[in-house]
Order: sequence, then C-alpha cells, then structure tokens
Amino acid sequence: MSETDMAVIKPEMMKPYVWLQTSDDSIQQVEQEIAMFCPFICQEIIQKGMGTSKNCAICLPQQVSPAMLSLILDYCRFHQVLGRSNKERKAYDEKFVRIDTEKLCELTSAADSLQLKPLVDLTSRALARIIEGRSPEEIRDIFHLPDDLTEEEKLEPLRNITDDPRIRLLNRLYAKKRKELKERERIKNVEVEEEHVDERSVDDLLSFINGNDRDPKGIKTSKNKKKNRRKKDQQKNSSSKEEISVPDKKEVLNGHNIRHQSSETDGPCETSNLHHNLHHTYDDPMLEFDDDDTDDEIDPALKAKIDREVEDFARRLNCDWPERIKDFFSSTQERKTMLSTTNGNGFLRRHACMLLPCVSVFYLTHHEFAFRMKMNPPRWPLA
Amino acid sequence: MDDFSGPDLISDLPQSIIETILIQLPIRDAVRTSILSRKWRYKWSTITQLVFDEKCYPNCHDREAVQKNVVEFITRLLFLHQGPIHKFQIVNTSLQNCSAINQWILFLSRNDIKDLDLELAEGGEFFRMPSCFFGCEKLTRLELSRCELDPPVSFKGFSCLKSLNLHQVLISPEAIESLISSCPLLESLSLSYFDCLALTVCAPNLKYLCLEGEFKEICLVDTPLLVELSVAMYMTDDVAEHMEQSSTCNFVKFLGGNDLGRLAIMYNNLETIEMYQVSFEDMKEILVVLRLITSSPNLKELHISGSSNISAATYAAGFEFWEKECPSDSILSQLKVVKLTEMSGVPHEIEFIKFLLGCSPALETMSIIPSMYDLECQLKMLVELMKFRRASTKAEIYFIRGD
Repeated sequence: MSETDMAVIKPEMMKPYVWLQTSDDSIQQVEQEIAMFCPFICQEIIQKGMGTSKNCAICLPQQVSPAMLSLILDYCRFHQVLGRSNKERKAYDEKFVRIDTEKLCELTSAADSLQLKPLVDLTSRALARIIEGRSPEEIRDIFHLPDDLTEEEKLEPLRNITDDPRIRLLNRLYAKKRKELKERERIKNVEVEEEHVDERSVDDLLSFINGNDRDPKGIKTSKNKKKNRRKKDQQKNSSSKEEISVPDKKEVLNGHNIRHQSSETDGPCETSNLHHNLHHTYDDPMLEFDDDDTDDEIDPALKAKIDREVEDFARRLNCDWPERIKDFFSSTQERKTMLSTTNGNGFLRRHACMLLPCVSVFYLTHHEFAFRMKMNPPRWPLA
Repeated sequence: MDDFSGPDLISDLPQSIIETILIQLPIRDAVRTSILSRKWRYKWSTITQLVFDEKCYPNCHDREAVQKNVVEFITRLLFLHQGPIHKFQIVNTSLQNCSAINQWILFLSRNDIKDLDLELAEGGEFFRMPSCFFGCEKLTRLELSRCELDPPVSFKGFSCLKSLNLHQVLISPEAIESLISSCPLLESLSLSYFDCLALTVCAPNLKYLCLEGEFKEICLVDTPLLVELSVAMYMTDDVAEHMEQSSTCNFVKFLGGNDLGRLAIMYNNLETIEMYQVSFEDMKEILVVLRLITSSPNLKELHISGSSNISAATYAAGFEFWEKECPSDSILSQLKVVKLTEMSGVPHEIEFIKFLLGCSPALETMSIIPSMYDLECQLKMLVELMKFRRASTKAEIYFIRGD
C-alpha cells in the first residue's frame, strides 16, 4: 500500500488489533500494523471497514489456514521492523522458506490469495530451486504428480525442439512396437497368455542393480522366460553380430553382466541399456552434447562424484523400472534389427559413452570390494 | 502410479504462481516441465519472459555445433510458445549473428515485446536489426550489443522506451541523436564502445547517463533530472591525430567546454558523478570538471580517475586559476564519498584534492589510489595531503596503495 493510504487511515482508524477469520472458521486477533502488510487485509480494512470487532472479522480466503496465517504474520512481523539491513532480511527469508515442500506450496498459495507479492516471489523462488536440475521422475516424486503421459507424448516436445537422431530412432522403434503389439493382440486371442507383472520390491531391485550374486527371489528369470524364449534365437544371432561390429559394446555388456548376473540371456541387458537411453532422453528434452571424455580409471578424488552418479543411476532405474521394463522387453527384438539396419553403430557407441561412467563404476567398485575382502577378510569377534 | 504419495501439491496452484516459478527456472528446466504430467503439458508455453543465458547452452567446445543447436532451440521454442512475450533476453551466450534472429525479432515484434536484450558474442558479424524491429511500440527496455541500427525514415521513436543500453552498436550520429530525442520517456541511457565523436543528448526525463567511447564533444541539452552521470571519453591515437587533437585532452569539449562560462543550468538532482581519465595538466579540462561539480548542489558521490601526462603536469603553472575559479565560498554541502583513482600526485591534482577537502563539510570518506609505485613519490603526495584543512570533522582519508 502507498504511504498516502497510511497517512489517511492513521489518525482515527488505526487500532492496535484486527480480527481475522481463517478457513477453519476460527477467529483470531492480530496486530493491525502487521496484518496491514497484506494488501488483501489492508483493502478490507480501508475500503470495507472490516475487522474492527469479532463480529465483523475479516474473512480470509479459503487458502489461508490458521497455520499458514501464523507463518505469514511471522514473515510480516520481521519485515515490518525498519532499519534491518538487506543482509539480515535475506538471511531471514532464506531460513523462512526452509520448510517441507507441502507446506511451501500451501504457503505460496496462501500468500498469493492475500496478494502478498514479496512472499509469493520468495516461495516461488524456493519452489523453482527445488525443480531446477532435477529429473522429471524426481519432480513427480516430490510434488506427487501423476505420471500420466505416454512415452510417446513425452517425446513430443523433444521432437519439436530438437533434431536429435535419437528421437528419430526412438520414433521408429515405437512404430514397430505398435505393430508388434497389434500382432501379439492377434495371437492373444488364440492362446491365453499369463500376465507379466513385476512384483519385485524396491530392495530386490536395488540389490539386483548393484549386482548381488543371489538371484532376487528368482522372480526375474521366471517372469521373463517366456518372452525371452520367443526371441532368443534372433537375439543370439544379432548380438553375436554386434559384438564384432561394435567395439565399444564390449565394455557396456561387461557392465551389464554385473548388474544382470542372474539373467540367462543377454536380452534383459539389452533392454536395460535401451531403458537407460530412453531415460537419458527424457531428462533432456533439449539436445545435449554427450561429454564422452570421462575415463574408466577411478581417481580417488573422483570417487565421491562417482558414488553420487551410481546412486543416481540406481535410483533412476529403480523409480519406474516396473512400469517400463515390460514394454522394453518386448521391443528388444526391434531394436536389434534396427541396430543392424540403421546407423546403430554410432547410436550405440554414443550411448555407450554415456553409460560407461556408471557401468564401469559398478564393475570396478564391485571388483575392488571383492579384492579388499580378499586382502582384509573381516575379523569376527571371538565369542 | 502413486497411490501412496498423496495429492498433487503444485499443479493446481494459480497460473500466475506457476508462471512465477517457471520464470525463475533456467529455460531448459522450464520447457522440461512439459513431460511431467498432463497438467504440465503446456504450462510453460505461456510464460511471458524468455531468458537464454549460459545455462541453456550445451557443454561443448565445438562452437559451430553449439551455435546451430542454440539457434534451433530458440526457433523451435518460439514456435511452441503461445501468447505475449514481454521479455526476451539473450545474454552471456556465445550466439553470433545469424539469419534466424530476423525471424525471432519479427515474431517478438508481433507479440508485445517490452524488454529486449540481445547480446551477440564477439567474433561474428554485427547483426543488422530488421525494419520490423522499429515497429516494437511497447518496448520499454532495450539492450543491444554488436548490432547495427539504421532506423527507417518513417521511424517515430519508441514512445514507451525508458532504458536504452547500446554496447558496440553501429549507428550514425544523426540516428542516435534522433533516437534519443524521440523517446520521450527515456530515463536511462548507456552507450559504450561508442565512436560517434560528437553527441548531443536531448532527453528531458533522463536520470541515468553513462557514456563511454571515442567522444570528442558531448553536449547535454535539457537533462535537468539527471541523477547519475558517468563519462569516459577517450580517443585512440590515430583518431586523435586525424582530429588534430591530443588524445589526452578528453573533457575539453564536454558540456560545451569552457566556452559556456558558467553552466547554463543547475543539476539539482545530480547525486553521482563519475569521470574517467581527466587530464590534470589541462586547465580547460579541470575547469569543465569544476563547473559540473559546483553546478550540482546535491552531489553525494564523486569518482574521478586521472590520466596526467606527468612531465607536462609537474611543471604546469597557473595556480592563480584555483583562486579565481574556486571562490572560497563554494560549498559541496552533500558530498559524502569521493573516490580518486589513477592519481599521480601532480600539482593540479593536489590542488583539486585541497579544494574538495576544503569545501565538503559532509564528507565521510575520500579514497585515493595513486598510480605511481615509487615510494618516495607516494610519501611526498601524502605529506602534501596532510596539510590540508578539512571542512568535515568526520572525513576519513584512505590512501590505498597497490602492490
């Protein structure tokens, strides 16, 4: 509000307290001077003469719960004091928005309904900071967004905004997949198939990803056996061909074998590779240049960074593996043919580069661990 | 898929909040929100502020590929965008001139552009603004670098423009003068790397003026509201030779030079003055500086950098000048902060400092950064400074020596 408004109301109307009614119909008395900081309340007082008594309390918007009101008043109370330095105010603001995301969203909405612009900006900035640099999966997770777009839809903005060869390949892949699904639909009518549901728990998946020796409950193998059997022959042919034609591939497969020690064929390996590729593109609607100069060697200084990458990768695989893995298993076959017919060589090599840092870390850390165990076997306390 | 996670926290917030959030994000992250969920599909596409900075650049050393990628990205993004675009900035990027910019400008000119900031990177050609640009009637802020402006004859000025910042922009002297005078609301003007030699600034609402470049004459006409003034006039030696003028005498013709006698107007709002490379061996130039200072009764901050020809200045005569031009009753009642850099300790500099100390009763700090490294010379200057009467009892003097 402008200073002239203040000047006008000050003489006769300025009362120390004002009555406010929050969304739960409870009424409370707050210092007028502070409440006036909110343009909404200010207007109610000046234009409608509201808030002077309990009976004509100012009815706050639905978004303002008692908890939010108290937060907002805290904010106003601090900033209302003159003579605070910018640094102090900044530090306060910084601390003020360190609340859980749900509250933060609620607060943004409440501040907006009271037209308290500085607080809206502050909380929006905090929300933006939460979103910035995070993967779509993480963002969905944080804000509880439904993952209700199809894979194809997710690729659309991508297609529009870049001319990435990956997208062309993926589009081709999807076209073929649709065809195959149709085909299967036809077969389904003849023979009743069992449903494939991934029932692995998060822990199973994690240990699976981390390359534990044990077969996680054997679910995986039994689950995919049927599908794999259908394609096994073709896969074998094409994969052997690939190993000759794609030199970089070997290392990728190595890495995958560690993660998939339980798998019988390299079909699932392929799938997860593709899965990762897809992920990469989801995360980057804009074309990103692959930084492929990352080395395999583990420099101790890099270890922290690598550990983070490993974690990130595990988490990504984890977060929607069950939903998508099924689709990609079924598309393995197409991808193979595509790789051998199109410029799959370069395609794969490019992605192998992206994958390598993560995969080789699995590989090396795994071995390092084994090595260390050999050198320093754990000493059991003598009971 | 998330039955456990609870209700959607953010998607149903008012669009104004969502937009505030999206604007705070790097543009890549903002566009990326379209694959979050169905509700977020097109939320980003109506944001009115588009900022392309170093964050939207792929991390790659192949300059050509980067250029191609970014151009394509911006073009496609504009295709996907809907509604008005109030702010469009390309800053801190390595984008160079290319034909696609013409299309962007046309697109922006049809979408209510208010704030345009186009900074092209070194190396490429200058970008010539298409004629449609001059039809952006709602423009309030314009910042260009490495562009060429050639307004069509029919151009009537930007009626809403408040801030104009041109850095390394090619424009004829007539065109810049008419551009300035045809923007009636202009409050802030900054020209840098400019080489128009003679410039007359006519802008009745001007508050902030920053000029830097090869100027020979600068004339301010009708700028009574000026609050901040920063001027660096320099001349490369070859141009100076061509103009039959010494490359060091920079301010001789500033503000009409010494022909004016006293300045015609008082700058009652002027609070900050910065002048770079003042030659303290040239009486005329000193006079221009003094006139400006004494015509600004509300001056609070003064920054002068010297550029003395030491051998010429050491033996300069004419100290009666200070008696004559600085009557003892002149007073700089508001001056609080003085910063003097590149001081070589020549006699007229010392006299200037003496003058400032003697007539600034409100002075709080004066910092002096000498340009000479010789300890003896520094000491000599300090001894001189010690003597001077200070009108302000709380003035602190910092003599800051570099290493």
